[in-house]
Amino acid sequence: MFRFIRHTIDRFVIQDTSFKFLYDRDETGEVVSLDCETTGFDPWIDDVISVAAIKIKDNRILTHQSFNALVKPEAEMRPEAMKVHRLLQRDVASAKPMAEVLPDLLRFIGSRPIMGYWIDFDMSMLDKYVLHHLGVRLPNERVEVSKLYYDRKYGDAPQGTQLDLRFDVIRKDLKLPPINQHDAHEDALLAAKMYVILKDMKARGVRIPRTAGIGGVSTGAAPRPMHGF
Amino acid sequence: MPQSFDSRNPPFDRLNAAEIDTLRQGMDIGYFAPGQVIVAADQPAQFFHVIIKGMVEERRDGEVEHVLEAKDSFDARALIHGKPGSEFVAAEETLCYLLPKDIVVELTQSNPAFGAFFYSEISRKLDAMAQGREGQGVESVLRARISEARLQPAVFIDGTATIKDAAMAMQDNHTNALFVREAERVGVVTGMNLAKAVLNKAKAGTTPVKEVCHFDVVAVDKDDFIIDALLLMTRHNKRRLAVREDGELVGMLEDIGILGLFAGNSQLIPGRIDRAKSIADLETTASDIQAQVERLHRQGVKADLIAEITSDLNRRLFAKLFELTAPKSILSKGCLMIMGSEGRGEQTVRTDQDNGLLISGPVAEEDLIAFRKLFTSALERLGFPPCPGNIMVRNPIWSMPVEDFIRQIKGWVIAPDENTPMYLAILADAIAVGRNPELLSRAKEALFDVLRGEKIHLAHFAKAVDMFSGSGGMLNALMASVGREDSINLKKAGIFPIVHGIRSYAIEKGVRETGTLARIDELAGMGALEADMAKELAGAFRFLMELRLRSQLAAVKHGNPEAEADIKPSELTTLERDLLRDALRVVKEFRELVRAHFNLRMF
Repeated sequence: MFRFIRHTIDRFVIQDTSFKFLYDRDETGEVVSLDCETTGFDPWIDDVISVAAIKIKDNRILTHQSFNALVKPEAEMRPEAMKVHRLLQRDVASAKPMAEVLPDLLRFIGSRPIMGYWIDFDMSMLDKYVLHHLGVRLPNERVEVSKLYYDRKYGDAPQGTQLDLRFDVIRKDLKLPPINQHDAHEDALLAAKMYVILKDMKARGVRIPRTAGIGGVSTGAAPRPMHGF
Repeated sequence: MPQSFDSRNPPFDRLNAAEIDTLRQGMDIGYFAPGQVIVAADQPAQFFHVIIKGMVEERRDGEVEHVLEAKDSFDARALIHGKPGSEFVAAEETLCYLLPKDIVVELTQSNPAFGAFFYSEISRKLDAMAQGREGQGVESVLRARISEARLQPAVFIDGTATIKDAAMAMQDNHTNALFVREAERVGVVTGMNLAKAVLNKAKAGTTPVKEVCHFDVVAVDKDDFIIDALLLMTRHNKRRLAVREDGELVGMLEDIGILGLFAGNSQLIPGRIDRAKSIADLETTASDIQAQVERLHRQGVKADLIAEITSDLNRRLFAKLFELTAPKSILSKGCLMIMGSEGRGEQTVRTDQDNGLLISGPVAEEDLIAFRKLFTSALERLGFPPCPGNIMVRNPIWSMPVEDFIRQIKGWVIAPDENTPMYLAILADAIAVGRNPELLSRAKEALFDVLRGEKIHLAHFAKAVDMFSGSGGMLNALMASVGREDSINLKKAGIFPIVHGIRSYAIEKGVRETGTLARIDELAGMGALEADMAKELAGAFRFLMELRLRSQLAAVKHGNPEAEADIKPSELTTLERDLLRDALRVVKEFRELVRAHFNLRMF
């Protein structure tokens, strides 16, 4: 309710009316997988240095029209963050500042729901800029992929069950091949793969077994045909 | 633009960085739920799919033909050739890269090496693969032209010239062999011939050279391959070949000239076989022949060439062993026949011995009994395991007078039991080594006649092509296991159906060749097999032989002879798995052809 009221107000306070489309009803049926690499983990101090967004339509990940940008940070890059994303000062020096990247990114995303792993963090990073430039926060619906995983895996778990929602743990559990983590595009793509699988499992009412720990995904579908003799 | 798309995975390893980029820019990723049809049988494909995770079944007429896994791709045929028929269905949660048809088609046209992967014919694919490997190992040496080897000059001398003249000519020309002109003939005289004539036979230096030269000259063309020369040397037990160019003799090729290029020594083995005076002498030679198989394979020589070299040597070995073990009565009247894979010249690693003896008339019973035992055990000593079906000289039904044997063949055809189809098949591939080959010719003539006499006999014979397939069950199960951890039996799934189907055609058409590839060639030549089918079968057969040899060598190495025909798809490269699918598809088509041709539906 609070969000709705805020969005309704924002709609009128948005400073640049050319971005009013953010409040349009989404009619594409698509979802955008989003990932930011940052100089650190504090949205107030740190900056986005690369951002990737990939559209998902039904069961297809539309990689051929994905959005990828390096961003010139305003804050200094901190050594500990550099170790994570391996982007050096000189890599981003030639990149565009967020003021130039943001309009393209927002037009790419439109009013589609935004999906990702720990998406609140990425969104608050972006909101810092959006607030600065447009005077509002992003109104898009958020989809947390680890929540989808949690529902499939632990939704019916007894109290006290140990949770493990790490990105790489989910990847292994869904038997997805390893990637170069901390590359915005690869991370967004991996989240997109998780999303299409988990969304379909939900539609089919299939759960991920807990007993085996990291391991097999039960298909729950009709038993596979026998290939034996 | 997924970076994680593996550009090292064939066929994408043939693309350059810019082409990979084009592909990456254009691709999407698709998710397919279990049971979802990815490519329908009757619709043109819009994408080339590469599996990221999951499992996809290729189905045809409702039956699972293949199971594809991560890194496998589908389906070149549907995409480029618009061939209908196969349906691709997700067997579990599956993610695929979706490469748009337009981009893939464009790349196949601009990059021929990449395009080769999309050929619909396995034979063309294999050729293209082979080109990529050129210059590797000894294969390139064997594929070198004779003109590339060091040749001795062609020096001619008249037959009436003296031994002394010849010796001078050799010295002047720095060669140890001369061509000798004698009337219309051309012979060869070597330094060794001269030395023997003078020293051993005390001939005068004035003796005409035509008296000490030999005229059974074996010639090759300058443009022939080294491997051709090697095969001729092995077959004729020659260390020197005359070399022709445009019909003229232009030089002499010595084995030593090849040795400069090639590390093997198969041309030295026949001499050792010939010189052997006892079974013990043959033992090391026999193990050398076997050791050579492994070495040639390691050097990258193709399985069918290895089989050809090995068979030539083994036949010499059998012939010599026959001479060493048979008493006079059997030597004069007997014909040793080598059957089965050894008869077809397709045995590389020894699996078993299939042999028999035909005699032109009765011989003393004690001679026969003694020889049966001696020959079979001697072969075993040389490393040829006994035949589990007891198809060996030691078994009286495989060693008898030819007249009785012919009666027995007729009995096998007219009143078959569970063993007789196998007996007939093994006999159809028989060749005679050494003496009295006409006895086997008579027996095979009888076999051909009786089988061709009535359609039903040949149909009964051909029926075994389905031996390992059941009614669409067994072979399909074997095919379905491609891509899984289960191993597949190459012999049952692929090699046997080709060998036996071709054997059936060969008998029907009176083809006397025994080798499967030679039979295919001849059948295609006479129009009994369509040219396309013949090419595909030959390609599939060569590829399966290659895999078989690999599994055999592995089985020997691990001391696990039962697994000699088994191959685990997971141990194959993506490309090999793809070729195996193609090969098994060819086998399936061929089996259907055989069934229709011999009217096997009536059984």
